[in-house]
Amino acid sequence: MRDDTIREVEQFLYREARLLDARRFDDWLDTLTDDVKYWMPLRSNRYPAYSKAISILDGSRYEEGELSREDELAIMDEDKDSLTRRIRRLDSGMAWAEDPPSRTRHFVSNIEVEPGQREAELRVYSNFIMYRTRGETEEDFYVGSREDVLRRENGQLKVAYRKVVLDQTVLLAKNVSNFF
Amino acid sequence: MVATRMATLVDSENGVINPSIFSDQEIYQQELEQIFARCWLFLCHETQIPNPGDFLTTYMGEDPVLVVRDRSGKIGAFLNICRHRGNRLCRADDGNAAAFICAYHGWAFGNDGALQAVPNLQDAYYGELDQSKWGLIPVAQLDSYKGLVYATFDRDAPPLLDYLGNATWYLDVYFDRREGGVEFIGGVQKWTIPVNWKVPAENFGGDGYHTSWSHLSAVTNGFGGNYRTRATGGSIVSPGNGHGVIGLDPSVPSDPPVPEILAYEEQIRDEVVKRLGDRINQITPSAATIFPNMSMLRSIARIHRTWQPKGPDKTEVRSAVFVDKAAPPEIKDAFRLAAIRSFGPSGSFEQDDMDNWEGCSMAGRGVVTRRHELNMSMGLGHAPYNEDLLGWASEHRYSESNHRAFYGRWAQLMDSRGWPK
Repeated sequence: MRDDTIREVEQFLYREARLLDARRFDDWLDTLTDDVKYWMPLRSNRYPAYSKAISILDGSRYEEGELSREDELAIMDEDKDSLTRRIRRLDSGMAWAEDPPSRTRHFVSNIEVEPGQREAELRVYSNFIMYRTRGETEEDFYVGSREDVLRRENGQLKVAYRKVVLDQTVLLAKNVSNFF
Repeated sequence: MVATRMATLVDSENGVINPSIFSDQEIYQQELEQIFARCWLFLCHETQIPNPGDFLTTYMGEDPVLVVRDRSGKIGAFLNICRHRGNRLCRADDGNAAAFICAYHGWAFGNDGALQAVPNLQDAYYGELDQSKWGLIPVAQLDSYKGLVYATFDRDAPPLLDYLGNATWYLDVYFDRREGGVEFIGGVQKWTIPVNWKVPAENFGGDGYHTSWSHLSAVTNGFGGNYRTRATGGSIVSPGNGHGVIGLDPSVPSDPPVPEILAYEEQIRDEVVKRLGDRINQITPSAATIFPNMSMLRSIARIHRTWQPKGPDKTEVRSAVFVDKAAPPEIKDAFRLAAIRSFGPSGSFEQDDMDNWEGCSMAGRGVVTRRHELNMSMGLGHAPYNEDLLGWASEHRYSESNHRAFYGRWAQLMDSRGWPK
C-alpha cells in the first residue's frame, strides 16, 4: 500500500473522529456512502471447541464464534436512512439520553490499510477507545476494533461498510447513544 | 423476621410510595430472599436451547444458574456452582455440552446434573465419597408455558399456571398467536444500567403515560409510526398476582412501522383472531410485565426482557427478539431490524428510558428525599374488574393502577412467609 494512501486514510479517520466529538453529525453523515452498512454485532463468552471445561455432546453444530451473525441480534445494524433519523432525533430537544449532551473523545489507532475487493475500495482495520462523560460524574469507556470498507467517490473517501466490535460482552454502559 | 413492613412504604390504597425501596441495601437483600428466591422466574425460551446438550447460563436473583437440555431432550436448571469448593462451574454464555468440568480441581458433572467424575476418587478420597449426593443443586420446580421456561427455588410456590393466572391469555398474544408459537432469534443483548430493577418492570407493566412525552422524539422521527400520538381508548390491565399489561385501543396502529410488517400483520389477522378469540378485537396488548422481572413488548418492536438484579442501584438487562415461527424469513429479519433500531442499548426509544430510570432510582439516596412520598395515584378508584379483559382494567388509557398492583403484590410477598393469595 502506498504511503500517501495510508496517510490519507489516517487523516480521514481522524477527521471523522473530530466531527463526532464536535457533534457535527450532519458533516459526519457526509462521510458515509448512501449505501453504507453500519453494524455492531454482539459478542459473547463461548468455550473454544478444544476447551477442556466442557465435553461437547454435538460437535457438528457447535458454535465457537464469539460474534453474532448478520441475521442475529446486534447492538446496531443501520443504514444511511436509520442513521440520519437517529441524528434528526438529536435535534428534537427531546432526545433525553443526549440532553444535556455527552462529551466524547474518540482515539483511533492501529490503522492498517489493504486493497479492497473493488478498485475504488480499501479495507481498513483500526482500534478505538471512545471515552464518554456526561452530567456530573458519568463515565464510560467503549473499547473495540473496526473493520471498514472505504470507497472513493468523486475523489473523496467515504465509509461504505463499518463493522464495530466492542470488547465487552455485557456492556457496562447504560446505553449506546453515540457513534463510533 | 422482616424488619420493616413494606406495606408501610408502599401504600397502594392511596397511591403513594416511599423512594427508599429503590435504593435501600437491606430492602434489596430482602427482595433476593422474599421475591427472587420464591417467585417463578424466566430462564429462557425453548428455542434458545433447541438440541440435546444445548445450554445457557443466566441468573435467578443473584444466583447463577445453568440451564441445560439433556440427552433425552429434557430441560433442567441447576445452580451454576461446583459442589466441591463453590467455583463457578460454567463460564460460557451458551454452547453445547455432554458434561461440564470445573476449572479448579476437575470435578465433572453431566448435563443432567449428576456428578460423574472426581479426580483421585480412589486414592485421596479412599473411594468413600458418595457421588450421588454431590450432584449439581437443581431448582425446586421447573415448568414451561408456550415455550417460555420458568423455574422457582421455592418448592412451596404455587404451580406455574396458577402463578401466571389470567396473564396466560396475554402471554398467548405475544408468544402463541400463530401455529407453532414463536422462536427467539439468535443473540441476547446484555447491558448494565444504574437502575433499580423495579423501575423498568413497572414501566413495561403499566406506564403508557410516558410514551407520548419520553419517546416523542423517536416517534416523530419515524421509529414508531403513528404509535400513540392520537388520544384514543385502551386500558391498563392487571390480570392479578402483580402482572401488568399496557393495552391499546385496537384502532391505534401499534405494530413496528415497516411496510412489510404491516402487510404481514394484515395478512395473518384472521388466523390471529381465530386463535386468540374475540378479546383481541377489544384490546391490543403493547408492553407487559410478568411479576417480578420479565417484560415484553409487541408495539414498535417484538422484544422480550429480563431485568436481572445486581444490587439496589444496578440491573443487568437481557433482551431478546421473538418472531412467529411461521413467519417468512424476510419478515423475521424486518422484526430483527425494527427491534435493534428502537429498543436495546442503542434503541432510539430505549436509550432515553435508561437515562430517566437512572434518575428515578437515585431518588432514595437523599435522607430528606426519603421523608417524602412519591406519587402513583393516577386513576385511583377507576380500574374496576372487567370480565372481558380478565383483570382490573383502567377506564382511561393512562393509569397507574398497575403500578399499585405491582407494588401491592411486592409488599405482600416481602411481608409474608407463606404464599399470599
